[in-house]
Amino acid sequence: MSKYRFIVFSLIFIVVQIFICNYFPFSRYVLISILPALLLMLPLEYGSNVSMLIAFAAGFAVDFFSTGMLGITSASLVPAALLRQPLISFVFGDEISSRAERIIPGRIGLPKMSLAMLLLCAVFFLCYVWMDAADTSGFWSGALRFALSVAASAPLCVLVAGILRPE
Amino acid sequence: MAQKGRFFSGLFTAAVFISLEIAAVSALKSSSVLQDIWINRFSHNVMAFSWGSINNVRGYFGLREQNEILAGRNYELFKELQHYKELEKESQAMAKLDSAGLPSRFNYIPAEITAMGTNSRHNYIILNKGSEHGVKPLSAIITPNGVVGMIYSVDRRYSYGLSLLNDKISVSVRIGREGIVAPMNWDGGDFDRAILKNIPLHLEVPEGDTVLTSGLSAVYPADIPVGVTTGSRLVDGAVNIVDVKLFVDFSALRYVIIAENPDRAAIEEMSE
Repeated sequence: MSKYRFIVFSLIFIVVQIFICNYFPFSRYVLISILPALLLMLPLEYGSNVSMLIAFAAGFAVDFFSTGMLGITSASLVPAALLRQPLISFVFGDEISSRAERIIPGRIGLPKMSLAMLLLCAVFFLCYVWMDAADTSGFWSGALRFALSVAASAPLCVLVAGILRPE
Repeated sequence: MAQKGRFFSGLFTAAVFISLEIAAVSALKSSSVLQDIWINRFSHNVMAFSWGSINNVRGYFGLREQNEILAGRNYELFKELQHYKELEKESQAMAKLDSAGLPSRFNYIPAEITAMGTNSRHNYIILNKGSEHGVKPLSAIITPNGVVGMIYSVDRRYSYGLSLLNDKISVSVRIGREGIVAPMNWDGGDFDRAILKNIPLHLEVPEGDTVLTSGLSAVYPADIPVGVTTGSRLVDGAVNIVDVKLFVDFSALRYVIIAENPDRAAIEEMSE
């Protein structure tokens, strides 16, 4: 039951992300993305390959239905998916990965969850901002965009993670 | 085994990652002009870097071949240079010969000293000209500054001679152009000293007189300046010995002239 719930909520959040991209452009310097949360909350038995395929598909769907550039979200989310497993081991410890437990934010605690989400958002926005700028803006402009986007998206991702996997 | 499986699994993950990134970047490239230009520029930079690196590596490993080619060319140039040097030396030697005003009834051949002994009382000299150059035994080895020795035997390409620094060699010399004639020998001492033996007591030999070849032997051309007298001393109360300082500096000698008298055989036959 919880599996289907997760799938349904994931699809809903993808649609929410499409809406955010289309109708809520906050600022040129602030990008909002909840896709890193969906990525982190994927079942741990999914390895890196499956995670990358899901990330690609989700990113592609968001790009396709939003006014963004086709492929930019996929290209940014796939590296985040590649680093997901090592990041989980680094932040939550090896035990959770080896036992293939579900990541439940209520059990893990807010600090660790925030740290994991911050790092995953950082990887995602690093790629996104770099590719979006395409060498047309300066370093500090890009750095500001990156920092503000991570700062805005990471708390939202923690919230989404709590909704995806309630205790 | 597990390690091998992990390796292949990592390889597969990398392949999936690269494939997905290529697909995403291709989509991005076709959907945005700005990103298209940026990706093209990026790929060109990557290609230029990889081509440059490959060329550097290829150039590094090609150095050995280049070195061999350069060594070959260096050898060819060295041979050519030596050839020109030898031509120059010969022409210089011939020019010296002409300026020395040596008697023309002798045949002259310029030569370079290949080896020369100076450590014993029987010193030798080897020259780089032999029978194929026209050198014959019992020819004189001279320079415009004096007598160096005498050819003793001849090989096809080299000739072996006895140096003046050999107590078996005796050269007939004259003190001044019209002075007394006496045999000159090396006394086994300094390289630049020789002595004239059997000078009668009544003949006074002043210091500083030039000693020249007498021309009385069939071996040495006449009137080649050999050295200067530096004094005389009485020996056995009967004869004087005159000391001569030689003009030839044996320690710096390199090029010589071989003087061959074509009439020597006839003269010696008549003497007998």
